[in-house]
Amino acid sequence: MALRATQTGRVRVRAGEGHQGYLTKLLWAKVAAALCLVAIMLYVADPAPQSSGGTAFGYASGTLAAGLMLWLTMLGVRKRATTRGRWSLKNWTSAHVWLGLSLIVIATLHSAFDFGWTLHTLAYGLMIVVILSGLFGVIMYATIPAKMSANRDETTEAQMLEALRSIDRQLDDAAQPIDRESAGRVLASINDDPFGGGVWNRLTGHYPRCETAAAQMALKRYTGGRADAGCDPLERVDALLEKKQALLARMRRHMQWKALLEIWLYVHVPVTFAALAAVTAHVVAVFFFW
Amino acid sequence: MTASFILRTVSRTADGRDIVRSSPVSDNRLTIGRDASNSIHLQDLAVDPFHATLTRQSAWVVAESAGNLGFGVDGKATTKAVLDAGKGAELRFGSHTLTLSEEDDVPVVTVARVGSVAEARDLEDSAAFSLRGKLPGKRISAWTFLLLILAACLAWPIMTFAKWSTAKERPQAVYADKQWTSGPLSKAHHGLEKDCQACHAKPFEPVQDAKCIACHTKVHDHADAKRQMLAMAPPDGFKRFQNGVKSAVGFPTGQRCVDCHNEHQGAGPMPATAQAFCTDCHATMKERLPDTKLANAKDFGTSHPNLRPVVSTGWQGDRAMLARLAGIGVLREDNGLKFPHALHMSAGGGVARMAISIGGKPLVCASCHKPTADGVRFEKVEMERNCQACHSLAFERIGGTVRTLRHGEPELVVADLRAWGGSGAPIMGTIAGRRVPGFAGSAGGYGPGYGRGVDAPFMKGGACYDCHVIDRTGGAASHGWHVRPVFQQTRYWRKGWFDHKAHDTEKCEDCHATARTSNDARLLMLPALDKGPDGKGCRDCHGGEASHAKVKSSCAMCHSYHTGPVRPWRPVAVRREGVGARRAVARP
Repeated sequence: MALRATQTGRVRVRAGEGHQGYLTKLLWAKVAAALCLVAIMLYVADPAPQSSGGTAFGYASGTLAAGLMLWLTMLGVRKRATTRGRWSLKNWTSAHVWLGLSLIVIATLHSAFDFGWTLHTLAYGLMIVVILSGLFGVIMYATIPAKMSANRDETTEAQMLEALRSIDRQLDDAAQPIDRESAGRVLASINDDPFGGGVWNRLTGHYPRCETAAAQMALKRYTGGRADAGCDPLERVDALLEKKQALLARMRRHMQWKALLEIWLYVHVPVTFAALAAVTAHVVAVFFFW
Repeated sequence: MTASFILRTVSRTADGRDIVRSSPVSDNRLTIGRDASNSIHLQDLAVDPFHATLTRQSAWVVAESAGNLGFGVDGKATTKAVLDAGKGAELRFGSHTLTLSEEDDVPVVTVARVGSVAEARDLEDSAAFSLRGKLPGKRISAWTFLLLILAACLAWPIMTFAKWSTAKERPQAVYADKQWTSGPLSKAHHGLEKDCQACHAKPFEPVQDAKCIACHTKVHDHADAKRQMLAMAPPDGFKRFQNGVKSAVGFPTGQRCVDCHNEHQGAGPMPATAQAFCTDCHATMKERLPDTKLANAKDFGTSHPNLRPVVSTGWQGDRAMLARLAGIGVLREDNGLKFPHALHMSAGGGVARMAISIGGKPLVCASCHKPTADGVRFEKVEMERNCQACHSLAFERIGGTVRTLRHGEPELVVADLRAWGGSGAPIMGTIAGRRVPGFAGSAGGYGPGYGRGVDAPFMKGGACYDCHVIDRTGGAASHGWHVRPVFQQTRYWRKGWFDHKAHDTEKCEDCHATARTSNDARLLMLPALDKGPDGKGCRDCHGGEASHAKVKSSCAMCHSYHTGPVRPWRPVAVRREGVGARRAVARP
C-alpha cells in the first residue's frame, strides 16, 4: 500500500499508513507467537492433561484466555479515543489482531480438544466465530479500499446519488410522450429504490429484480426493430436507461465493497458479547460443579 | 360566458411556498392525461396519455376513465364516478390529486402533485450506501445475544439444579444443567448422567468422598489411613504452590476419591489412574516407612522391584509351603509332579509319535493347558482330561468294557489290583490296539511287569511313580503307599494381575521359553521383569507410562489400589481396541 498514489493525488510515503498499517508492526505478532509457543510447551509438558480442565494448565490457560477476551473487547471502547505513538490506536489494533489470533491456540489448548454439545463448546465456538469474522475483516480491509476508490473514480457517494436523481428526472421528462406500458416500465425504474434489496443482494452485487434492467429489456423490444431515429422519445428513454444502468452498476459495486467492509462487524460485535456471556456462564458453571 | 369548471393548479417553489393559479374553463368536458393536449395535463408517468374525462352533467360531475386504467376516488379505485361537487371529492391520478369543490355553483378542480420525481426517497446518503438498516443494529443484536445466552446457559441451569438439588434421582427428561457437563460420565456411572446432584451436593463445593462412599460401601482402604499419610511424599515446589492456591480458594488439598477416579473424561470404562498418583507415595516410600515390606517402585520400565511369584517351597505333610520368592530363571518349585516338558514337547520323540497316532499331531501347550473361562489364567491340569489319553490306567478288558484303576485313590488301586490279581484273567498289555504306558505290553520294554502284584504301579517304572512323588507313609489300605498331592499354582502374582488373554497375540514360548527345552520338572518357567536366563522378560514389551516401550504401562495395568480379588483397571485403549493392543494410552 505504501508509495501508491491515491485518487486524491496524495502519495502515501510511510509504510503502514494504509488500512492494514497496523499489521506491519510485528511486535505484537511476535508477542502472540511467543504466547502460543509457551502455551503449547506447557500443554505438552503437563503431566496430567484432562478434559475436565481442572488442572494447573487448565486454570492458567483459561484465566489467560478469559482475560484476553475481555481486553480484546475493550478495543470497542479504546477506538473512540485516538492517541499517538506507542499507545496509539494503531498499535492497540495491531495487538488486538495478533493477540486475538493467538486466542485460537490458547483456547484450543484450554479445551484439551474435548468438544461436545455443551455450554463449554458453545463458548469456544462463539469465540472462534468472533476471531474468524475478525480475520475476515482484516482481509477485507487489506484488499477492498483500493478496489473501492478505483470503482468510485473520484466521485463521492453524494455525487453518485445526485447523478442518479438527475437521470431519474430526465427519464421522467423524456418518458412523458411514450405509451402507457413503456411509461409504466420507466416509472418502475424511477421508483425502484437504488438502495433496495437485502443483505444478500448487497454482498453479491446481484440484483435480479432490477426495474431499470427490466425496463431497458422491455424497451429494447420496441426499439430493437426500428431504425435509430434520434427524435423518437423511446430512443431517448433508452439512452437514459442505459446511462442509469451504468451508474447503478457502479453504485452497486460500491455498495458491495462497502457491505463486505461492514458485514463482518455485524457478526464480530454481537457475537463478541454472546461469547462473553457464554464464557461468563462457563466460568460460573465450572466452579458451580467444582 | 359562464365557466363550467374552475381549474386551479398548485405548484411548489424551491423554497417550499405554494403558488396557486386559477383559470375558468368553459368546456363542459375536461380531459385528463399525460399528453400535452389534455385540458388537465399531468406530467406523471403513472397517468395514461389520455386517462380520463370530467364531464359536467347538470348538478353532477361525472369522472370516467378514457381507457381501462382507473383512478382513485376518495381512496377507492374505480373507472367511473358520479360526483357532487357541492359535497366535494378527491380524485387520484398517479401522484397527482384532483380535488373537487364548488364555488358559486361552479365546480372547482384543484390539481396538486403529491410527491416529486426522484425526491420521494428522503435518504441520508452515507447511511443509504452502508448496510445500516439492512441488518439489525449491532448494539441491539449484542444485547439480545448477551441476554439470551445468560438466560439459557446460566440462569436456566442454575434454576434447574436448584429445583432438583435434593432429589435422589431425577425422572427421565432433558435438564438444563446437563449443558454444563464437562464430558460424558464413565460407563459405570452412566446412569447418573442426568443426576448432577448425585455427586455435586452443593453449588461451588468440590465433590466430597461422602458422596462416593454413599454408594460404594464395600471399597477397601488401600492401607491404614495414618500410614498412608506418612507414606506420602511432602509436596514439592509446584505442588506446594498448587496446595496454597487450593487452600486459598477453599479447595481440599487432601486425597479425595476423585483425585484418582476422575470423572467426565469420556464415555466407556473409566480410564486408568495416572502413574503419578501411585508414585507420589511408592517412589520413595521406604524412606518414610522403613518397616514396609514393599520395595520402592517408581516406573515399571525403570524402577520396579523384581517380580516375586508365589511358589511352593516344600511340603508339610500334604500341604505345600508357599512363599513369594525372587529369582525367576533359577527358581525351582516343589509341586510334587514329575513332568519333563521337553520330552513331551519334542517334535520327533516317542511322545510325539504317540500323540500323532491318537490326535493326529504332536503335543502343543494347549493339549494340556486349558484357559479359564475369562481367559485370564489356566485351569489346573487334570489327569483324566489331559494325561489319561496316553497315560492309561486301564488294566483289563471284560467283553467290551475296559477296567481302569481309579486315579487319585491309592486305596482303590490297591483293592482293585488285589481283586483282579486273584481272578487269573490275562494281563492287559494293550487296550484297543494301543500300547499302554505303565503296563507291560506286547511290545514290551515299558512298564513294571505285573508280576510284582499290587505294589507295581507305586514303584519305579510303575504308572503312579512315573508322575508322582511316592513314599511309604501310607496306611494299610494302600498297602503302605502314599502319593503326595500335586500343587498347581494358578496365580503366581499375588500383588499384581497378569492377564493371559491380553497376551494372546504372543506365542506361549515367547514368555515361557524353557517349556520346549527343559526336562527339569521343578523349574519355574515364568518370564522375569528383565531378560531372564531364558532371554524373556516383561520389559521386552512393557515400559513405564511415559516410556517409548511397545506397551506403555502405568501401575494400574497390573495393580489394584483397593486391595481385593478384583482385576485392576486397564488403560482404556487396551480395552477398546481389544486384547493384545500394542498401543497403550497413558493419556486419556
